[in-house]
Amino acid sequence: MKFYFCVDHFLKQAFLIFCTSAAIVLCLITPSSAAEKLVMNPAPTAKDWSDLSNLPDWSGVWNPKVSDQDLQVKTNPPPWNAKAAALIEHQFKEDREGRPFLVFWGCLPEAMPSWMLITHNSMEILFTPGRVTMLGESDGNRIRRIYTDGRDHPADPDPTFHGHSIGRWEGDTLVVDTVGILPQAYLAITEAEGVPNNGDLHVIERIHLAAKDILHDDLEIIAPNVLTKPWKTTRIFFRQRARKFDIVEGTCEEGYVAPRVTKDGWQIFEKIEHDIGGNRIPPK
Amino acid sequence: MKSSLNFGNEFIRLFMTSLISLTATLLIPESTVYAHHSTAMFDHSKSVTITGVVKEVQWTNPHVAIFINGSEGKEEASLWLMEMTSPGNLVRDGWTRNAVKAGDKVSVSFSPLRDPSKGKGGALKKLVLSDTGQVFTANIRAAERPNIDEVQDK
Repeated sequence: MKFYFCVDHFLKQAFLIFCTSAAIVLCLITPSSAAEKLVMNPAPTAKDWSDLSNLPDWSGVWNPKVSDQDLQVKTNPPPWNAKAAALIEHQFKEDREGRPFLVFWGCLPEAMPSWMLITHNSMEILFTPGRVTMLGESDGNRIRRIYTDGRDHPADPDPTFHGHSIGRWEGDTLVVDTVGILPQAYLAITEAEGVPNNGDLHVIERIHLAAKDILHDDLEIIAPNVLTKPWKTTRIFFRQRARKFDIVEGTCEEGYVAPRVTKDGWQIFEKIEHDIGGNRIPPK
Repeated sequence: MKSSLNFGNEFIRLFMTSLISLTATLLIPESTVYAHHSTAMFDHSKSVTITGVVKEVQWTNPHVAIFINGSEGKEEASLWLMEMTSPGNLVRDGWTRNAVKAGDKVSVSFSPLRDPSKGKGGALKKLVLSDTGQVFTANIRAAERPNIDEVQDK
């Protein structure tokens, strides 16, 4: 019995020593490893700010040319694979019969690349050192952050609605490379025709002024799970400078409530009814 | 024994919770589904005109709506809903938040709902203020020019 106790005691001691040693080794190794992985975004310098003045003037508010979006549905359709083509055909049929499919619902973002392809709402584009930021009208969740500080994509980006975008300037053209888009994000050609991209989506854009107040976004959409080959298309935006066009706050769900005053005098929002298409319920 | 009894109770509780959640999900009215929507539910080949009085303007993103008490002819007035695009797009077409107000007498042309059983509604195409004759349209595709006001001012 005493012998067993000794062996047991010895093993416990040995285990304790092993754990303590391992902990010390980990403590010695971990800080240096973490320091190597920590990447800092440097504070912009005065030169970084002044260099922005060399970039083309994209100020103002940019409206999409919706009639050209309409036109391209017929003139430049995506090279859908068989499965996607069948779904699109079904959606067109439903649309014609007055039962439009909902590409956008639940106030989720229009996402990439549908935002650029089919939006009806304006946007503005901001330049700051190392960043181009696109802010969309109508929904508070329409934001694209394009990193122009020379970084690469993360090895395994967290999928998001707008993906991970890096950009570089080739003369006056901003070349944007976007990956890491959620597979559920739609590749849409109208608000009623589109398919989930189903993953591995890669979008390359060349954004440039085509005229003084006309911005072109030349897109190459590589969607191997829904397209048979990369799809190239251009989307056109035109500029407004009148102050009345300045983008104002917009929240998607705001349209689903109405201002009311309670009996006690409180000014509140009250939910109002909608049909499945997002329309308010018409009176009968 | 006590532990397996607890497990059984927990299982039943979880099962009932799931059942209630599922039932609730199935019973959620369509009105809770929010969306940007296509306008395919409106028959754009038709145009209906009503005259009446504005009851309420909901000037909100992503879609503005105007409720109007009106009628096509001499029948009794009833409440109609006009769906429109976003405030930003309407501003581009000449609207402002207070351009049309509750109490205004108006004449409105619109593409009606394809399915009349869905109710009295449509996609507004043109609104005329009866007192002033001021016309407002709502066609974003008709205003696709840069710096619209500069062009108008010239």
